[in-house]
Amino acid sequence: MKKLSYDYYMKIGYSIPVENCHFTIKCFPQNTDRQRILSQHIEISAQGYNEGCDGFGNRQIYGTVACAHDVFVFHTTGETECGMREEEEAAVAEKTGMFRYAHGYNTPGSGLRSYFEELVRAQVISDGQDDLQKSIELMHRLYQDFKYEKNQTTMTTTAEQAWQIGAGVCQDYAHILIALCQMAGIPARYVTGMLIGEGASHAWVEVLAGEHWYPLDPTNNCVVTDSHIKIGTGRDAGDCLINRGIMHGGGTQTQEVRVCVTETT
Amino acid sequence: MSTLELLQHTDTVNELLARYGVKFGIYKNNTFKEQLFPFDAIPRIIGHEEFDYLERGLKQRVMALNLFLKDIYSKKQIVKDGVVPEDFIFASSGYMAECEGTMPPKGIYSHISGIDLVKGKDGTWYILEDNLRVPSGASYPMIARELCRRSSPDTFHDHRLEDNRNYAKLLRRTMDYVNPGGHTVILTPGRYNAAYFEHSYLAEKTGAHLANGSELVVEDDKLFYRAMDGKLERVGAVYRRISDEYLDPMNFNPESLIGIPHIYDVFKKGNVALLNAPGNGVADDKGIYYFVPKMIKYYLGEEPILSNAPTYLPFYEEDMSYVLEHFDDLVLKDVAEAGGYGVVFGSSMTTRQKEDFIALLKKEPRRFIAQEVIDFQDLDILEGGEAVPRKADLRAFVLMADEPLVWKSGLTRFSRNPDSFIVNSSQGGGFKDTWVLSQ
Repeated sequence: MKKLSYDYYMKIGYSIPVENCHFTIKCFPQNTDRQRILSQHIEISAQGYNEGCDGFGNRQIYGTVACAHDVFVFHTTGETECGMREEEEAAVAEKTGMFRYAHGYNTPGSGLRSYFEELVRAQVISDGQDDLQKSIELMHRLYQDFKYEKNQTTMTTTAEQAWQIGAGVCQDYAHILIALCQMAGIPARYVTGMLIGEGASHAWVEVLAGEHWYPLDPTNNCVVTDSHIKIGTGRDAGDCLINRGIMHGGGTQTQEVRVCVTETT
Repeated sequence: MSTLELLQHTDTVNELLARYGVKFGIYKNNTFKEQLFPFDAIPRIIGHEEFDYLERGLKQRVMALNLFLKDIYSKKQIVKDGVVPEDFIFASSGYMAECEGTMPPKGIYSHISGIDLVKGKDGTWYILEDNLRVPSGASYPMIARELCRRSSPDTFHDHRLEDNRNYAKLLRRTMDYVNPGGHTVILTPGRYNAAYFEHSYLAEKTGAHLANGSELVVEDDKLFYRAMDGKLERVGAVYRRISDEYLDPMNFNPESLIGIPHIYDVFKKGNVALLNAPGNGVADDKGIYYFVPKMIKYYLGEEPILSNAPTYLPFYEEDMSYVLEHFDDLVLKDVAEAGGYGVVFGSSMTTRQKEDFIALLKKEPRRFIAQEVIDFQDLDILEGGEAVPRKADLRAFVLMADEPLVWKSGLTRFSRNPDSFIVNSSQGGGFKDTWVLSQ
């Protein structure tokens, strides 16, 4: 178990001032069986915002910046305790069904299907293993067969496309692992979060084995312990985008995200 | 003899319909074409008792469908109890996970339901399809009746029939019942929509504002109408004629330009009613149709009053073997398609097509349903001054307010092609008024 403090900073700049920008931000770690939130603080360059919860149980704030502006800043900090347990109770059955089925970005195509068949033939997964073991084996193979490389994929690359490219980032690893698990009949979901250290936000996967969700980080080929702060979940990245916004107007947009997670005592 | 007089006015009525802009727009090969929706003056007449029976059956069905939607977006008891397999929920393109945990005002999901029925040659009515998203069509018999009354007033004096011009009143009552406070708006994507005539006509008749997305704005968890002078006025109910995915770019399809950012968030907070609620597609696809009689038993503890057309689900092995054995007698429908598309008759396929289809069916059994071909009762239409028989169906409108209300009329659509069973207006069909006798 670790005590982690986090700092998430996002700044969007517009080359020409924009009006009526709508935002929805899902960047709020919540209490789970695995983590406890000790404190949380939000700053945003908007007159006000409303709070709610999406269909997946993620906390969100949303609103509109009506007046002309050329910069939008969102900053949140907090303190958490992580890794109290290995797994998370899958509270109610009606909330797990949707994760059994391919959706959006993680819908496999012919490439991923034949890759999965190849893994089955190679007995990477077999009847003797439980769902967690199977998922871990799939993760190990994916880690070997897929390369971490930035700028190969975008926010909207599907699992199938990423697989065809052969390289990508955490979002792509997560989508592909979800597709593989679902093909093996194991419900799996997408997780957004933050990892100890400095950089960007992170993404991983939770698989349902028995009555519990187990977090696996395919980008780092490991079972998640106490270095990850979970933010949100969904069927794929689209369900739990940390920042979703629309604005009308010309010009170019630049986005800067800085995430820092440090261990405190 | 007064009916004859009405028939003599067919051309006049059609000319008036054209002048009032009663058109039906369709997209074909990527171009928008507006076509007239041809009106046939011979009404479909339904007897008082017969309609009474339909009314009871329709109310029962729509109550069960509403309970189903409420269950699916919360506890999913019907799935846990094994009545509906999980596949027909989560793999359905109409299921919207984003809607999980949202309770619409008064728990109503389908406020305006369009239920399509056909009458068999033996006089039995069958449900063909439920339309719980944005069913259109009520305005056509409304205005046709209005124009017919004008051109042939005696006809309506001599027949004791239910006045169907009360639809606007029923609709208003339905909208008011769920309105938590504020104006009532009919939200249209604009004049290039297939049913734009209907949007404007219903707005006029119900006294609701006709608005497009850019006239509505969300502020502080409430929805407002931006008046001409720039003042914001609170909106409490939106009869939206925009499909779910385009309704709110912040919650659904981000590319939508016709929606209202954050309107779904306001709905979640209970500060606006959306008619119909988003997510209803899970209850009206052709796959879930099979389960509606089971829903009626499950939620209401009653036997279904109205029957489905005999339907088989290749998803179940037993049904699959029936379908393969009786392939030529059946009509096969792709569950994801609508508007009369994706429908094929086993008997009309070549051997080669049949083989290909069966291979596809075996690969994706959940994608199709198979139904016995119902020998519908033909209705006469006038063509070149002569009465000729054509296939026809009936779209009944069921509104859910404090109680279910069945409109004592409906849209009767017919196929103009003598060999076709497909009556959809998007495929060139015409319509009739539906008379319900009051005694």
